[in-house]
Amino acid sequence: MYGKGLLKGLWITFKHSFEKKDLVVRYPEQMPHLQERFRGSLAFDFEKCIACGICIRNCPNNVLSMETAKDEDSKKKKLMQYTIDLQYCMFCNLCVEDCPTNSLYFTHDFELSQFHRDDIKRVYHRPPELDQQEAAQKTSDQDTQTAADDKKEKQLRAMINAINKNPQKVLARVLDGEEQVEVLAAVLMADEKKLARMAEMMITDKEKAKKVALAFVKKELKEREKGGDQ
Amino acid sequence: MEHWFTDIAQALVNWLMGLGLSAGWADFVLLIVQWLCIVMIVTINVIILIWLERKVSGFIQLRLGPNRLGPYGAFQTIADAIKLLTKEDIIPSRTDKWIFMTAPLFFIVVSVMLYAVIPMGDGMQVVDFNVGLLYFISIGSLSTICLLMAGWGSNNKWSMLGAMRAVAQMISYEIPLAISLLGVVMIAGSLRLSDIVVAQGNIWFVLLQPIAFITYFIAATAELNRGPFDMPEAEQELTAGAYTEYTGMRWALFFLAEYTNLVAVSALCATMFFGGWQGPGLPSWLWIIIKTYLIMLVFMWMKWTFPRIRMDHLMSFSWKILLPVSLANLVLTGFGLEFFKWMGWW
Repeated sequence: MYGKGLLKGLWITFKHSFEKKDLVVRYPEQMPHLQERFRGSLAFDFEKCIACGICIRNCPNNVLSMETAKDEDSKKKKLMQYTIDLQYCMFCNLCVEDCPTNSLYFTHDFELSQFHRDDIKRVYHRPPELDQQEAAQKTSDQDTQTAADDKKEKQLRAMINAINKNPQKVLARVLDGEEQVEVLAAVLMADEKKLARMAEMMITDKEKAKKVALAFVKKELKEREKGGDQ
Repeated sequence: MEHWFTDIAQALVNWLMGLGLSAGWADFVLLIVQWLCIVMIVTINVIILIWLERKVSGFIQLRLGPNRLGPYGAFQTIADAIKLLTKEDIIPSRTDKWIFMTAPLFFIVVSVMLYAVIPMGDGMQVVDFNVGLLYFISIGSLSTICLLMAGWGSNNKWSMLGAMRAVAQMISYEIPLAISLLGVVMIAGSLRLSDIVVAQGNIWFVLLQPIAFITYFIAATAELNRGPFDMPEAEQELTAGAYTEYTGMRWALFFLAEYTNLVAVSALCATMFFGGWQGPGLPSWLWIIIKTYLIMLVFMWMKWTFPRIRMDHLMSFSWKILLPVSLANLVLTGFGLEFFKWMGWW
């Protein structure tokens, strides 16, 4: 019979129009279920970025751009600003794929429309915390350095004082025999420079100090012999 | 409740005559008021219809349709109308400007003119024309010219193709449409629409003329450029046919006119086949509204069920099937009437 198919079609649509409409996601109230690798808006992690520029070279639409500066101290490239002009992005994933530090990534945020064109553009400025952190790092390094220096100097002074106060006892650490110690004490008392050197060596390198002390003593004894001869 | 609107009209005429106007002038003022009412009815109907269409299409496609603005999305059309009104009116530089600009105006005027003869209740007719049906059919076919104007004026090959399709389709379907209605006219013995309504006091003509009803319904769908016969628009093939270059309010006027035509054709269908404003209990103007809306729902149901027919199939369907069937129905009706008279049953 002609028209049977038409009636069948009409009956199908008629039935459908009374079915429960739970196929639709009522979007603003009900968020759609997104797959794990869904490509929503592109996001950027400033701290991870090493400013290698691979993403920028990969981008077919010139979405990405960055500004860098040379770091004064470390002579390294430093990222100052990173721009994602999302309106040109076609979500091809080429930048995300090749980012060595995973600082670029796709989020599940798909609500990308804005009232103004400029609002689509995302500009990431160098966060001030990052600079502060780096500065803090540097100063703390310096502090430890100076602290160490201070410590050394203090030790040195203490050693010199100790030698001045009680040469026999202190110098016995480097030399055996009272005679030799007495000679060494005499030498060191006569020359402040030698005293300082000796004290430093006694703190840092005892073996060397022993050798040098021995040398001092021998030299002194020789000179005395010479003097005795004369 | 039955005589609300006729009473209001009578009171208006009496008041105007009381002011010292002659009967002729009072009738003239009444005519203007009636036209304004028609324009209002058309606008309100279109607002409801667009919402209904989207809702019906949504339900058929297992969606919800508009459901954000107002209860069940009822204010969606109003928001759309405001959007269209405030949109930029773009007139492409190489169009035939006068034709391009006036086509939508002619279209809407022609569509509104159809309402002059439709009986919208007992005695609620702007003009009770003695050849009302003829008037309706001839005015209805004028919209072809408006579509051709739009297509030609746009100076765009797709628009022109759409317009040519529209002309071919509408002229082809005009013939079975008119002939199918002739059967009803033969039984009622009059072209006056109020007479036809009264003639259906005992039995609706849809029962006496089922074949005429089906041919009318199919031909009317094609006349309205509605799916599955929406060849002139055919989004996938011609972008939007004759409407491609139109924007903002001009485009909205076309849209308005299409739905206006839909209401008019459905109202005519109710008048010719379903007893017009006659019905038990409810006032006459409510009955015609109910019938018209039910018929329009069927139109929508068909549009969202059937896929678009191919252009050559469309033409061959009209000339090879619809026209012979309606002609045969005409002959059958003639024989039947003579037979009934001969038997003395009429």
